[in-house]
Amino acid sequence: MSANAGPLPQLPSDAKRRKPGLIGWVVNRLGMDDTMEDQYNRVVPAHASNYIYCFGGIALVLFVILAATGIMLAIYYQPTPDTAYQSVLNISTHVQFGWWIRSIHRWSAGGMVLLVFLHMLRVFFTGAYKKPRELNWVTGVFLLLITMGFGFTGYLLPWDQKAYWATKVGTDIAGSVPGLGHFLLISLRGGEQISAATLGRFFDLHVLVLPAIIVILLLGHFFMIRRHGISGRL
Amino acid sequence: MTRSTFLKWLIGIFGVTAVAGVIYPVLRFLKPPPAVSGAIGQVVNVGAVTSFPDGQLTAVTVNGQPAAIHNVGGKVTVYSLICTHLGCVVGIAGDAFKCPCHGSQFADTGAVTHGPATLPLPTYHSQTQNGAVLVGPIDLSGAAYPAWYKGEFS
Repeated sequence: MSANAGPLPQLPSDAKRRKPGLIGWVVNRLGMDDTMEDQYNRVVPAHASNYIYCFGGIALVLFVILAATGIMLAIYYQPTPDTAYQSVLNISTHVQFGWWIRSIHRWSAGGMVLLVFLHMLRVFFTGAYKKPRELNWVTGVFLLLITMGFGFTGYLLPWDQKAYWATKVGTDIAGSVPGLGHFLLISLRGGEQISAATLGRFFDLHVLVLPAIIVILLLGHFFMIRRHGISGRL
Repeated sequence: MTRSTFLKWLIGIFGVTAVAGVIYPVLRFLKPPPAVSGAIGQVVNVGAVTSFPDGQLTAVTVNGQPAAIHNVGGKVTVYSLICTHLGCVVGIAGDAFKCPCHGSQFADTGAVTHGPATLPLPTYHSQTQNGAVLVGPIDLSGAAYPAWYKGEFS
């Protein structure tokens, strides 16, 4: 350092960095200024300014929409064989905007499976799974499986013919696993046949088990993308 | 007004509209739906006897369900138009009923004249009072209707 160097630049004092408003108040209480600053100053690399890098984010938006509309549908849905179909019919025909909420849920569900898959293709073909990001790829694989699990369990809930037979075939496939097959089949169905127990189990998986797992995995997924940053260009 | 305040207003208006567009349907959704007008099984007045041409079948709606009035000289019979085969809505074809789904046909007495249906169309309890046709609950005692068919009326 030369002797002619001017005075050191003034570091912003804590007082200067205090932000106004409610969010600023919370940030100040938690001492998160630096963390927030770091988040605000992330630079998206130029090569990532491409729509194919949006697939994961769109899948997340769809997940949030699915969670919101799913919570709303659960208000009117009744998971018993006697009432399930009628309650779905009720949502679609009598509940105000029920058809709208249900349609959004249904189309977002299909869209999420599609977008998660496209996201996987993007990651694969840009080599974004390579060291040090292997763990994120692994969580991603589980997220894909859970997304499909959501689709499979959600499909049974309207309790119509299509739902019944799709679940019959799906659980039969699980039953064909060597050794474990029969255990998997009766665990999924709650018995040898598809019954009220199956509907209860699928509903539980769809609204309690899978959401809990997917939220944990998503947090890990996002923590790692923040930790690693967006992968380099090809 | 500067360009920047104008843009802030514009963004604000768009934002409020978007948020309202989400909140409004959600609030409507949360409100319990009104009871369906004319709960199933309730007695309804479907109109004056004279409004149903003598000797003909006329389509009506009973508590939201499709039905047909058969007026024979002021003596009225009310048939359900839900097919006993697989639950499609049967159409009126002259003086008979014909199902568009699988071709079942019924005479104007409700009896099957052509399969695949095997059970006759059921009738509603009905009577005429002061010249008006009053229709009550469905009468499913005429044949051994399967559970799903009974479910159509509950």
